[in-house]
Order: sequence, then structure tokens, then C-alpha cells
Amino acid sequence: MNTKRAQSADVLKRFIITVVMLLLAVVMVIPFLWMISTSLKTPAQVFEYPIRWIPENLTWEHHIKIWTGPKNFATYYWNSLKISLIGMVGATFLSAFAAYGFARIQFKGRNALFMLYLSMMMIPPQVLFVPKFLMFDWAGIYNTHLALILPGLFTIFGVFMLRQFFLSIPKDITESAFIDGAGHFRIFFQLILPLAKPALATLAIIDFSWQWNDYENALVFLIDEHLYTVPLGLQNFILENTVDYNGMMAAASAGILPMIIVFAIGQRYIIQGLTNSAVKG
Amino acid sequence: MNNNWMRRQQLLGYIFIGPSMLGVLLFFLIPAVYSFGLMFTNYKFMNPNVEFVGLDNIVRLLHDPMFYLSLKNTVLFLLAVPFSIGLGFVVAVVLNQRIYLKKLLRGLYFMPYITSGVAVAFVWMLLFHPKQGPINGLLRSIGFDNPPGWLSTTTSSMFAIDIIWIWFLLGYNMIIYMAALQEVSPELLEAAKMDGAKRGQILRRIIWPLVSPTTFLLLITGLIMTIKTFGIIQAITQGGPGNSTTILSLYVYQNAFRYYDMGYASTISWALFIVILLITLVQWIGQKRWVHY
Repeated sequence: MNTKRAQSADVLKRFIITVVMLLLAVVMVIPFLWMISTSLKTPAQVFEYPIRWIPENLTWEHHIKIWTGPKNFATYYWNSLKISLIGMVGATFLSAFAAYGFARIQFKGRNALFMLYLSMMMIPPQVLFVPKFLMFDWAGIYNTHLALILPGLFTIFGVFMLRQFFLSIPKDITESAFIDGAGHFRIFFQLILPLAKPALATLAIIDFSWQWNDYENALVFLIDEHLYTVPLGLQNFILENTVDYNGMMAAASAGILPMIIVFAIGQRYIIQGLTNSAVKG
Repeated sequence: MNNNWMRRQQLLGYIFIGPSMLGVLLFFLIPAVYSFGLMFTNYKFMNPNVEFVGLDNIVRLLHDPMFYLSLKNTVLFLLAVPFSIGLGFVVAVVLNQRIYLKKLLRGLYFMPYITSGVAVAFVWMLLFHPKQGPINGLLRSIGFDNPPGWLSTTTSSMFAIDIIWIWFLLGYNMIIYMAALQEVSPELLEAAKMDGAKRGQILRRIIWPLVSPTTFLLLITGLIMTIKTFGIIQAITQGGPGNSTTILSLYVYQNAFRYYDMGYASTISWALFIVILLITLVQWIGQKRWVHY
């Protein structure tokens, strides 16, 4: 009798906490909801209060406008996708290569090189912007996509993260392959990489989201509008349409949509990767 | 034979690390050295007259009121980090209980961290609109006749940015705490309960000290990450109104790419590096002294 009452009290408590946390969670995502809702309204409805979350007549014209107008988001999308995808694939593989070297090969100067990587992580990007700007200008890649793609191929964080993961793979797995006469290349490609798939996926997703959201590098290294990535295109749109709030929100939705898809697909990997590198790193 | 094997190992090591090392050289090490050199010159972009000016830039920095203002704004910006850690802890503790929809809730709280870049900053800009924005609409409707001007006044702008930043970081802090809370032994909590400890006591005296390494880590990484950021501020306020949101990292950007004063910009950027170095030193020392294991 008593336990039954205790049980139902427990269920009630769980239910109440869930509802409270759900309400707070909705507050967290309100900016996203407001953005989508506003992008589907008419200008007159934007600042109506109380907020009508689902507008009376859905207006799609703002979304159509940003995809077809003179400031075309299709170009920005293509630029961003190109840069982020090349960067993501390149950075993941180059990091895996280096991480294997640091984790599994004995060679002179390994620890010193690793210390160098560590110390480079402390240098803020602001220190590097000016010299990179001057170097890229000198090399003729300033104001081209190469100015974003080439540095995007390298991530020190990725080397750290994967090194951590490779160190956690038991040595005897590779030891027996060694005795069978396999070299480092075969072990890397046939044993380590397949085992590291989840870690590679994690790094790839995190790296993609960084590259997609990267505004600061694009701001410094690109001038021509047809080269703009999504964040720059968005800023440009907002500077030129200062009162077109519906258009702004349609544009912002377009910028965020890929991230929401990536988040929905890769949430598990992202959480795992971030907690591993924070708690154990 | 053994010698040969050693040499092969050596070579293979360099082959594996080589490509990544090339990137580190080209995009980190060489630019860092270059920037350090620029600090002692009066180099302005496109201006052929470059001179070695010794410590002039450093003297100028120490007498630059904008430097101190941007330092103060940076500190105000950094305030968001401990607040976001505190909130992240509370949410993690609650979500760690037996509740329904745990995965969905975790995902919703975590969403801003992974999905937001500059795009969301523009959404916040409208939410904070002083006259017509929904946030002030809400405040007025519950009786605040003079809601704050948020991003539009010099006294409130940095706090509006802090709110955005707390919102952004909260989910990250939460998931790291949730992982840390998994490590707290249930037997220990059970034993404390048997001894008659109240929930608040358990939280304060047992759980909070046990997760202190995590708190410390989140504080350090959060501070360093925040100090390097200027994108959202450049996007929505460009440092204004009246320089009230010009933080150190943004001040570097402005000097470099608005005034093309490369020598001075490099000097400020190394001041930024020193701040990061100090935070890292605190981490090394503090890890031993303040963290209870």
C-alpha cells in the first residue's frame, strides 16, 4: 500500500520535473522558432505582440526571394559546401595520419613535435590573421577560396582527438599484425582506420560544423561577393536590407538549416566526441 | 638489422606526420613568428616605408585608452562563462535524475551550441530590438515600462552579448557535466542519504566537490574559447554603440583590417596571447591546489 503510494508520488514527481524542464528547453530554442515563424510572415506581422507563432497566412515569398533574387543564396551555399566538405575530408584524413604517427610510431623528436602542436593551440587566431593575410596576398591566393580551403585542411584539435582515440586501441591488436609482417601503412589502413570509424565520424561532423559556421576567416580573406560563404552572404544581405526582417529571417533559416540537419543526424557522435576529448583529454 | 629498422621507423614517423606538419608550419608557426616580428615595426599595408621601431608599439599600447576599454569589455564578456557553467551544472543535475524524455531534452538544450554561428546572432539582434522586439514586448506586458535598450545602449550592450553567449555555451557545459555526473558513484550518494543528508547538502558537499575537476576544465576552456571570439560581436554591433562592445580580439581585427595598421594590430594580438598564457598558467597551478579529487 505504502510502496504503491510512494511509486505514484515518484511518477508524479518525474512528470512535473519533465514538464518544467521541457518548458525551459522551449525557451532555449525560441530564437529558432521565432526565426522560422518570422520568415513566414508578412512585414506587418513581424513585431505583433503577443507573438503569433503560427502566422495566419503562411508567406513563402521571402524564402523564394533569397533563393532567386539578385543576392542569391544558391551561390553562397555552393561556396560554403565546397569549402566545408573539402576541408572536412582533408582535415579528417590528415589528422588521422598525423595522429597515428604520434600514437604508434617511435621516432626521434616525436615528443618535441607534439609539444609544438600543443603550444600552437594556445596561439589565438587573431595573432595569425595579419601574417596570413600578408602571406596569402603575396602568394596570390588572397580573395580566393584557396585562402579558406588550404588552412582548413589542418586541425590541431583533430590530431589531438584522434591521437587520444588511437592510444586507447589495445596494442596487442596491432602487435600480432606486426609479427605477421604487416607494415605501418597496412596496419593504419586495414586495422586502425576501420576501428576508428566512430572517432573519424565525430571529427568530421565537428569539423564540418566549424567550417560551415566560420565567419571570421571568410571576413578576413574574401572580398568579392561571388566568393562569399553563407555567413558573409547573410551579413551582406542584412546590411543591404536593413528593414526587411522577414527576408533576414528567411536568410538566417537557410544558413542554419544544414546545421540542424547535421545536428539531427550526428548528435550522438558530437556529444561522444566532445565529452571524450574534454573529460579524458 | 636493428639499426636499419630504427631508421625505417624514423622515416615512417615523418611520413605520417609530414603532411600535417607542413600545415602547422605554413599556417601556424611561420605566421606566428612573422607576427612577432611585425610587432616591432610600423608596417602599414600597401605602405612601402617600413621601419624598425623597437618597443614603440608596446609603449603606444600601454598608453592607449582603447586598449584598456577593450580589456574591460573582454572581462565583461568573460563573465558569461561562469554563469553559463552554473546553469549548465543545474540543468545537468536535473536531467541526470529519473525523468521522461531525457534524450529529447538533452538535445534541445544542446542545440544552440552546435547549430549557431553568425546566423543566430542576427536573430538575437531582432529579438533584442529595443522598441519592437519580442523580448521587450514581453517585459512591457508584465509591467516593465522602461525595459533595457539591450544592444542599443552603451551600458547594456555587453550584457545583451553575455546573454547570447550564456545561451550558446550552456548546452556544451551541460553535456560535459552529464558525463562527469555519470562517474559519481551511486553507492556514495546512497550512503549519504542513509546518514540523513538532505538533497541540498548532498549536492553542495558531495556532488559539487566531486565534479570540481570538470568545473575547472570548463572554466579554463570556456574562458580561452570566449577570449578568441569576435565573430558574433562584429556581425551584430561591430563593436558599438560607442565602442561599448569592442573586445580585445575585435580591436585587433579593427586595427588590422579597418586601419591596416599591421604592426600595431600584431602588438595587440600578442597582448591577447599573454592573457591566454596567464589563464593557462592559472590552470597548471590551480589544478594542483583548488581541485578536490
